[in-house]
Amino acid sequence: MAKSFQVDVVSPEATVWSGEATFVVARTVEGEIGILADHEPTMAALATGAVIIESDGDRTLIGVHGGFLQILDNQVTLLTDRAQISEGGRDVAARIAAELQELEQAEEELEGS
Amino acid sequence: MASAELRQIRRRINSVNSTKKITRAMELIAASRIVKAQQRVKQSIPYAEKLTEVIRNVARASGGVAHPLLERREVRTVGMLVISSDRGLAGAYNANVIRMAEAAMIEHANEDRELKLFLVGKKGQTYFRFRGYHVERAFLGVTDAPSYGDARAVANTLLEAFATGEVDTVEAYYTRYVSALNQQATLYRLLPVEPPTTEGEEQAGAVAYTYEPSPGEILDRILPRYVEAAIFGMLLESSASEHASRQRAMKAATDNANELVKILTRIANQARQAEITTEISEIVGGAEALAEARGE
Repeated sequence: MAKSFQVDVVSPEATVWSGEATFVVARTVEGEIGILADHEPTMAALATGAVIIESDGDRTLIGVHGGFLQILDNQVTLLTDRAQISEGGRDVAARIAAELQELEQAEEELEGS
Repeated sequence: MASAELRQIRRRINSVNSTKKITRAMELIAASRIVKAQQRVKQSIPYAEKLTEVIRNVARASGGVAHPLLERREVRTVGMLVISSDRGLAGAYNANVIRMAEAAMIEHANEDRELKLFLVGKKGQTYFRFRGYHVERAFLGVTDAPSYGDARAVANTLLEAFATGEVDTVEAYYTRYVSALNQQATLYRLLPVEPPTTEGEEQAGAVAYTYEPSPGEILDRILPRYVEAAIFGMLLESSASEHASRQRAMKAATDNANELVKILTRIANQARQAEITTEISEIVGGAEALAEARGE
Protein backbone atom coordinates (compact mmCIF):
# COMPACT_ATOMS: atom_id res chain seq x y z
CA MET A 1 0.00 0.00 0.00
CA ALA A 2 1.37 3.32 -0.99
CA LYS A 3 1.95 5.93 1.65
CA SER A 4 -1.04 8.23 1.99
CA PHE A 5 -1.42 11.88 2.87
CA GLN A 6 -4.19 14.27 3.86
CA VAL A 7 -6.03 16.10 1.10
CA ASP A 8 -8.57 18.88 1.54
CA VAL A 9 -10.42 20.47 -1.32
CA VAL A 10 -12.26 23.54 -0.09
CA SER A 11 -14.21 26.25 -1.86
CA PRO A 12 -15.39 29.48 -0.22
CA GLU A 13 -18.86 28.07 0.38
CA ALA A 14 -18.04 24.57 1.57
CA THR A 15 -15.53 21.77 1.98
CA VAL A 16 -15.80 19.85 -1.26
CA TRP A 17 -13.68 16.84 -0.42
CA SER A 18 -11.55 15.81 2.51
CA GLY A 19 -9.70 12.60 3.25
CA GLU A 20 -6.62 10.47 2.79
CA ALA A 21 -5.14 9.94 -0.66
CA THR A 22 -2.14 8.25 -2.21
CA PHE A 23 -1.92 10.18 -5.44
CA VAL A 24 -3.21 13.53 -6.65
CA VAL A 25 -3.10 15.15 -10.04
CA ALA A 26 -3.90 18.84 -10.45
CA ARG A 27 -3.45 21.54 -13.05
CA THR A 28 -1.51 24.62 -12.08
CA VAL A 29 -0.96 27.67 -14.23
CA GLU A 30 2.36 26.18 -15.30
CA GLY A 31 1.12 22.71 -16.18
CA GLU A 32 0.05 19.45 -14.63
CA ILE A 33 1.44 18.35 -11.32
CA GLY A 34 1.38 14.86 -9.90
CA ILE A 35 1.66 14.55 -6.14
CA LEU A 36 2.76 11.56 -4.11
CA ALA A 37 3.46 11.40 -0.40
CA ASP A 38 6.46 13.38 0.91
CA HIS A 39 6.25 15.92 -1.89
CA GLU A 40 8.38 19.00 -1.32
CA PRO A 41 6.61 22.10 0.05
CA THR A 42 4.90 23.78 -2.87
CA MET A 43 2.68 26.77 -3.37
CA ALA A 44 1.02 26.95 -6.74
CA ALA A 45 -1.77 28.82 -8.45
CA LEU A 46 -4.40 26.48 -9.85
CA ALA A 47 -5.70 26.66 -13.39
CA THR A 48 -9.03 25.46 -14.73
CA GLY A 49 -9.18 21.69 -15.10
CA ALA A 50 -9.74 18.30 -13.61
CA VAL A 51 -8.24 17.23 -10.31
CA ILE A 52 -7.80 13.51 -9.72
CA ILE A 53 -7.55 12.14 -6.23
CA GLU A 54 -6.64 8.48 -5.84
CA SER A 55 -6.80 6.60 -2.59
CA ASP A 56 -6.33 2.84 -2.64
CA GLY A 57 -8.18 2.18 -5.82
CA ASP A 58 -10.85 4.79 -5.21
CA ARG A 59 -10.75 7.59 -7.69
CA THR A 60 -12.41 10.95 -7.17
CA LEU A 61 -12.61 13.48 -9.95
CA ILE A 62 -13.24 17.11 -9.25
CA GLY A 63 -13.72 19.96 -11.69
CA VAL A 64 -11.81 22.94 -10.36
CA HIS A 65 -11.58 26.55 -11.45
CA GLY A 66 -8.89 28.81 -10.05
CA GLY A 67 -7.41 28.97 -6.58
CA PHE A 68 -4.29 27.69 -4.88
CA LEU A 69 -2.51 24.49 -4.10
CA GLN A 70 -0.44 24.16 -0.98
CA ILE A 71 1.68 21.13 -0.17
CA LEU A 72 3.21 21.14 3.28
CA ASP A 73 4.16 18.27 5.59
CA ASN A 74 2.13 15.70 3.68
CA GLN A 75 -0.92 17.90 3.71
CA VAL A 76 -2.29 18.93 0.38
CA THR A 77 -4.74 21.81 0.44
CA LEU A 78 -6.61 22.93 -2.64
CA LEU A 79 -8.14 26.33 -2.03
CA THR A 80 -10.37 26.54 -5.06
CA ASP A 81 -12.50 29.42 -6.25
CA ARG A 82 -15.04 26.94 -7.48
CA ALA A 83 -15.07 23.16 -7.36
CA GLN A 84 -17.53 20.44 -8.08
CA ILE A 85 -17.19 16.67 -7.76
CA SER A 86 -17.65 14.88 -11.05
CA GLU A 87 -19.52 11.60 -11.35
CA GLY A 88 -18.10 10.84 -14.78
CA GLY A 89 -14.62 10.38 -16.18
CA ARG A 90 -11.77 12.79 -16.54
CA ASP A 91 -13.18 14.58 -19.57
CA VAL A 92 -16.41 15.15 -17.65
CA ALA A 93 -14.47 16.71 -14.79
CA ALA A 94 -12.60 18.91 -17.26
CA ARG A 95 -15.89 19.97 -18.79
CA ILE A 96 -17.30 20.80 -15.36
CA ALA A 97 -14.23 22.95 -14.73
CA ALA A 98 -14.74 24.76 -18.03
CA GLU A 99 -18.38 25.33 -17.14
CA LEU A 100 -17.40 26.76 -13.77
CA GLN A 101 -15.12 29.16 -15.58
CA GLU A 102 -17.90 30.21 -17.94
CA LEU A 103 -20.20 30.68 -14.98
CA GLU A 104 -17.74 33.02 -13.37
CA GLN A 105 -17.30 35.04 -16.55
CA ALA A 106 -21.06 35.29 -16.93
CA GLU A 107 -21.38 36.55 -13.35
CA GLU A 108 -18.71 39.14 -13.92
CA GLU A 109 -20.41 40.41 -17.05
CA LEU A 110 -23.70 40.57 -15.23
CA GLU A 111 -22.10 42.61 -12.50
CA GLY A 112 -20.41 44.94 -14.97
CA SER A 113 -23.63 45.71 -16.78
CA MET B 1 -77.18 44.56 19.93
CA ALA B 2 -73.66 45.33 21.00
CA SER B 3 -73.03 48.89 21.99
CA ALA B 4 -70.62 51.09 20.06
CA GLU B 5 -67.91 50.67 22.68
CA LEU B 6 -68.10 46.89 22.66
CA ARG B 7 -68.07 46.76 18.87
CA GLN B 8 -64.99 48.91 18.75
CA ILE B 9 -63.09 46.76 21.22
CA ARG B 10 -64.01 43.59 19.37
CA ARG B 11 -62.76 45.12 16.14
CA ARG B 12 -59.46 45.94 17.81
CA ILE B 13 -59.13 42.39 19.10
CA ASN B 14 -59.61 41.06 15.58
CA SER B 15 -57.05 43.45 14.20
CA VAL B 16 -54.47 42.54 16.86
CA ASN B 17 -55.12 38.88 16.18
CA SER B 18 -54.45 39.19 12.49
CA THR B 19 -51.27 41.17 13.14
CA LYS B 20 -50.24 38.42 15.50
CA LYS B 21 -50.64 35.85 12.74
CA ILE B 22 -48.22 37.81 10.57
CA THR B 23 -45.59 38.35 13.26
CA ARG B 24 -45.84 34.70 14.26
CA ALA B 25 -45.31 33.60 10.66
CA MET B 26 -42.30 35.94 10.32
CA GLU B 27 -40.89 34.58 13.56
CA LEU B 28 -41.10 31.02 12.27
CA ILE B 29 -39.58 31.89 8.91
CA ALA B 30 -36.70 33.73 10.57
CA ALA B 31 -36.14 30.80 12.92
CA SER B 32 -35.80 28.38 10.03
CA ARG B 33 -33.46 30.76 8.20
CA ILE B 34 -31.15 31.14 11.17
CA VAL B 35 -30.30 27.45 11.03
CA LYS B 36 -29.43 27.69 7.37
CA ALA B 37 -27.45 30.90 7.81
CA GLN B 38 -25.54 29.39 10.72
CA GLN B 39 -24.66 26.37 8.62
CA ARG B 40 -23.36 28.58 5.86
CA VAL B 41 -21.20 30.50 8.32
CA LYS B 42 -19.83 27.19 9.56
CA GLN B 43 -19.17 25.88 6.04
CA SER B 44 -17.25 28.98 5.06
CA ILE B 45 -14.84 28.65 7.97
CA PRO B 46 -12.52 25.92 6.55
CA TYR B 47 -11.73 28.01 3.47
CA ALA B 48 -11.06 31.14 5.49
CA GLU B 49 -8.85 29.21 7.93
CA LYS B 50 -6.85 27.49 5.22
CA LEU B 51 -6.43 30.74 3.35
CA THR B 52 -5.16 32.47 6.48
CA GLU B 53 -2.76 29.61 7.06
CA VAL B 54 -1.45 29.79 3.50
CA ILE B 55 -0.93 33.54 3.65
CA ARG B 56 0.83 33.24 6.98
CA ASN B 57 3.15 30.61 5.52
CA VAL B 58 3.87 32.58 2.38
CA ALA B 59 4.50 35.75 4.36
CA ARG B 60 6.89 33.94 6.66
CA ALA B 61 8.62 32.10 3.83
CA SER B 62 9.23 35.19 1.76
CA GLY B 63 10.21 37.24 4.80
CA GLY B 64 8.29 40.50 5.02
CA VAL B 65 7.01 40.83 1.51
CA ALA B 66 6.01 44.14 0.07
CA HIS B 67 2.72 44.30 -1.75
CA PRO B 68 0.43 47.22 -2.62
CA LEU B 69 -2.40 45.67 -0.63
CA LEU B 70 -0.24 45.41 2.50
CA GLU B 71 1.09 48.93 2.28
CA ARG B 72 0.04 51.44 4.93
CA ARG B 73 -0.51 54.91 3.59
CA GLU B 74 -1.19 58.15 5.33
CA VAL B 75 -4.97 58.22 5.68
CA ARG B 76 -6.63 61.10 3.91
CA THR B 77 -9.67 59.30 2.63
CA VAL B 78 -11.45 56.58 4.52
CA GLY B 79 -13.57 54.05 2.70
CA MET B 80 -16.35 52.68 4.83
CA LEU B 81 -18.29 49.53 4.15
CA VAL B 82 -21.48 49.29 6.18
CA ILE B 83 -23.44 46.07 6.05
CA SER B 84 -27.11 46.45 6.90
CA SER B 85 -30.18 44.56 5.70
CA ASP B 86 -32.64 45.11 2.89
CA ARG B 87 -35.67 44.60 5.07
CA GLY B 88 -36.62 46.04 8.41
CA LEU B 89 -38.62 44.47 11.22
CA ALA B 90 -35.45 43.11 12.72
CA GLY B 91 -35.37 44.96 16.01
CA ALA B 92 -32.29 47.08 16.58
CA TYR B 93 -30.21 45.13 14.05
CA ASN B 94 -29.84 47.91 11.51
CA ALA B 95 -29.88 50.73 14.03
CA ASN B 96 -26.91 49.28 15.94
CA VAL B 97 -24.54 48.88 13.03
CA ILE B 98 -25.58 52.18 11.44
CA ARG B 99 -25.14 54.03 14.73
CA MET B 100 -21.66 52.62 15.15
CA ALA B 101 -20.69 53.56 11.60
CA GLU B 102 -22.09 57.07 11.92
CA ALA B 103 -20.20 57.69 15.15
CA ALA B 104 -17.00 56.72 13.34
CA MET B 105 -17.94 58.97 10.42
CA ILE B 106 -18.31 61.95 12.70
CA GLU B 107 -14.93 61.19 14.22
CA HIS B 108 -13.30 60.95 10.81
CA ALA B 109 -14.91 64.20 9.77
CA ASN B 110 -13.54 65.89 12.91
CA GLU B 111 -10.06 64.83 11.94
CA ASP B 112 -10.48 66.20 8.44
CA ARG B 113 -10.51 62.88 6.70
CA GLU B 114 -12.60 62.47 3.64
CA LEU B 115 -15.18 59.74 3.54
CA LYS B 116 -16.36 57.38 0.86
CA LEU B 117 -19.36 55.28 1.69
CA PHE B 118 -19.97 51.81 0.34
CA LEU B 119 -23.14 50.16 1.56
CA VAL B 120 -24.68 46.76 1.56
CA GLY B 121 -28.39 46.70 2.25
CA LYS B 122 -31.29 49.00 1.52
CA LYS B 123 -31.75 50.13 5.11
CA GLY B 124 -28.30 51.67 5.26
CA GLN B 125 -28.77 53.28 1.88
CA THR B 126 -32.05 54.87 2.91
CA TYR B 127 -30.62 56.11 6.19
CA PHE B 128 -27.48 57.73 4.81
CA ARG B 129 -29.18 59.16 1.72
CA PHE B 130 -31.81 60.77 3.89
CA ARG B 131 -29.14 62.41 6.02
CA GLY B 132 -27.45 63.83 2.96
CA TYR B 133 -24.34 61.65 2.87
CA HIS B 134 -22.98 60.87 -0.54
CA VAL B 135 -23.18 57.15 -1.18
CA GLU B 136 -20.41 55.91 -3.44
CA ARG B 137 -22.04 52.60 -4.15
CA ALA B 138 -24.81 50.50 -2.64
CA PHE B 139 -25.22 46.77 -3.08
CA LEU B 140 -28.82 45.64 -2.74
CA GLY B 141 -30.51 42.26 -2.72
CA VAL B 142 -27.55 40.59 -1.08
CA THR B 143 -28.24 40.26 2.62
CA ASP B 144 -30.93 37.58 2.71
CA ALA B 145 -28.68 34.79 1.42
CA PRO B 146 -25.30 36.16 0.35
CA SER B 147 -23.37 34.20 -2.27
CA TYR B 148 -19.63 34.25 -2.81
CA GLY B 149 -20.24 36.13 -6.07
CA ASP B 150 -21.82 38.95 -4.06
CA ALA B 151 -18.77 39.11 -1.82
CA ARG B 152 -16.56 39.20 -4.87
CA ALA B 153 -18.49 42.11 -6.36
CA VAL B 154 -18.11 44.11 -3.15
CA ALA B 155 -14.44 43.16 -2.88
CA ASN B 156 -13.69 44.18 -6.46
CA THR B 157 -15.19 47.62 -5.92
CA LEU B 158 -13.23 48.17 -2.72
CA LEU B 159 -9.96 46.77 -4.07
CA GLU B 160 -10.20 49.02 -7.07
CA ALA B 161 -10.85 52.08 -4.94
CA PHE B 162 -7.85 51.16 -2.79
CA ALA B 163 -5.58 50.41 -5.73
CA THR B 164 -6.32 53.69 -7.50
CA GLY B 165 -5.72 55.64 -4.30
CA GLU B 166 -9.33 56.77 -4.08
CA VAL B 167 -9.32 55.53 -0.51
CA ASP B 168 -6.32 54.97 1.76
CA THR B 169 -7.97 52.53 4.08
CA VAL B 170 -11.21 50.57 4.27
CA GLU B 171 -13.16 49.97 7.47
CA ALA B 172 -15.96 47.48 7.45
CA TYR B 173 -18.90 47.64 9.84
CA TYR B 174 -20.95 44.51 10.20
CA THR B 175 -22.89 42.57 12.80
CA ARG B 176 -20.99 39.70 14.32
CA TYR B 177 -22.99 36.61 15.12
CA VAL B 178 -21.83 35.70 18.60
CA SER B 179 -24.75 33.45 19.44
CA ALA B 180 -28.47 33.21 18.77
CA LEU B 181 -29.06 35.69 21.59
CA ASN B 182 -26.09 37.94 21.09
CA GLN B 183 -25.13 39.84 17.97
CA GLN B 184 -22.62 42.63 18.02
CA ALA B 185 -21.96 45.50 15.65
CA THR B 186 -18.26 45.20 14.93
CA LEU B 187 -15.50 47.06 13.13
CA TYR B 188 -13.10 45.15 10.91
CA ARG B 189 -10.15 46.84 9.23
CA LEU B 190 -10.28 45.41 5.75
CA LEU B 191 -7.61 47.33 3.85
CA PRO B 192 -4.69 47.53 3.88
CA VAL B 193 -4.58 43.81 4.59
CA GLU B 194 -3.09 43.07 7.97
CA PRO B 195 -1.14 39.90 7.45
CA PRO B 196 -2.32 37.26 9.89
CA THR B 197 0.15 37.07 12.75
CA THR B 198 1.80 33.91 13.86
CA GLU B 199 0.07 32.73 16.98
CA GLY B 200 1.04 30.17 19.54
CA GLU B 201 4.09 28.07 18.95
CA GLU B 202 6.84 29.62 16.96
CA GLN B 203 7.45 27.25 14.09
CA ALA B 204 11.17 27.19 13.67
CA GLY B 205 12.41 28.32 10.31
CA ALA B 206 10.48 29.42 7.30
CA VAL B 207 8.99 26.92 4.90
CA ALA B 208 11.01 26.74 1.74
CA TYR B 209 8.26 26.55 -0.81
CA THR B 210 8.64 25.82 -4.45
CA TYR B 211 6.52 28.49 -6.06
CA GLU B 212 4.56 28.09 -9.23
CA PRO B 213 4.72 30.82 -10.52
CA SER B 214 6.70 33.35 -8.41
CA PRO B 215 5.94 34.36 -4.78
CA GLY B 216 4.96 37.82 -5.98
CA GLU B 217 2.40 36.45 -8.36
CA ILE B 218 1.01 34.10 -5.73
CA LEU B 219 0.54 37.06 -3.38
CA ASP B 220 -1.05 39.02 -6.22
CA ARG B 221 -3.63 36.30 -6.52
CA ILE B 222 -4.04 35.33 -2.91
CA LEU B 223 -4.44 38.70 -1.17
CA PRO B 224 -7.55 39.70 -3.12
CA ARG B 225 -8.98 36.26 -2.25
CA TYR B 226 -8.31 37.01 1.37
CA VAL B 227 -10.29 40.23 1.14
CA GLU B 228 -13.10 38.42 -0.69
CA ALA B 229 -13.23 35.70 1.92
CA ALA B 230 -13.26 38.27 4.72
CA ILE B 231 -16.17 40.11 3.10
CA PHE B 232 -17.98 36.84 2.46
CA GLY B 233 -17.58 35.91 6.11
CA MET B 234 -18.93 39.27 7.21
CA LEU B 235 -21.90 39.02 4.84
CA LEU B 236 -22.75 35.56 6.14
CA GLU B 237 -22.45 36.57 9.78
CA SER B 238 -24.51 39.70 9.19
CA SER B 239 -27.15 37.62 7.49
CA ALA B 240 -27.31 35.16 10.38
CA SER B 241 -27.49 38.09 12.80
CA GLU B 242 -30.28 39.67 10.79
CA HIS B 243 -32.38 36.53 10.93
CA ALA B 244 -31.70 36.06 14.63
CA SER B 245 -32.63 39.69 15.38
CA ARG B 246 -35.76 39.39 13.32
CA GLN B 247 -36.78 36.22 15.09
CA ARG B 248 -36.40 37.89 18.46
CA ALA B 249 -38.17 41.06 17.37
CA MET B 250 -41.06 39.07 15.95
CA LYS B 251 -41.29 36.87 19.02
CA ALA B 252 -41.54 40.00 21.17
CA ALA B 253 -44.22 41.37 18.85
CA THR B 254 -46.20 38.14 19.06
CA ASP B 255 -45.93 38.10 22.86
CA ASN B 256 -47.08 41.70 23.02
CA ALA B 257 -50.03 40.91 20.79
CA ASN B 258 -51.04 38.05 23.09
CA GLU B 259 -50.87 40.34 26.09
CA LEU B 260 -52.88 42.99 24.31
CA VAL B 261 -55.60 40.52 23.33
CA LYS B 262 -55.84 39.39 26.95
CA ILE B 263 -56.30 42.96 28.20
CA LEU B 264 -58.73 43.89 25.44
CA THR B 265 -60.78 40.76 26.08
CA ARG B 266 -61.14 41.75 29.73
CA ILE B 267 -62.28 45.23 28.76
CA ALA B 268 -64.70 43.75 26.26
CA ASN B 269 -66.13 41.42 28.92
CA GLN B 270 -66.60 44.33 31.31
CA ALA B 271 -68.37 46.33 28.64
CA ARG B 272 -70.61 43.38 27.83
CA GLN B 273 -71.41 42.85 31.51
CA ALA B 274 -72.19 46.51 31.98
CA GLU B 275 -74.52 46.36 29.02
CA ILE B 276 -76.33 43.31 30.41
CA THR B 277 -76.69 44.94 33.81
CA THR B 278 -78.15 48.04 32.21
CA GLU B 279 -80.57 45.93 30.22
CA ILE B 280 -81.74 43.95 33.27
CA SER B 281 -82.26 47.03 35.36
CA GLU B 282 -84.20 48.56 32.51
CA ILE B 283 -86.44 45.48 32.30
CA VAL B 284 -86.92 45.34 36.07
CA GLY B 285 -87.59 49.06 36.18
CA GLY B 286 -90.09 48.74 33.35
CA ALA B 287 -91.88 45.79 34.98
CA GLU B 288 -92.13 47.62 38.28
CA ALA B 289 -93.50 50.68 36.55
CA LEU B 290 -96.14 48.50 34.84
CA ALA B 291 -97.08 46.76 38.12
CA GLU B 292 -97.40 50.07 39.86
CA ALA B 293 -99.58 51.40 37.05
CA ARG B 294 -101.89 48.33 37.27
CA GLY B 295 -102.15 48.49 41.12
CA GLU B 296 -103.17 52.12 41.05
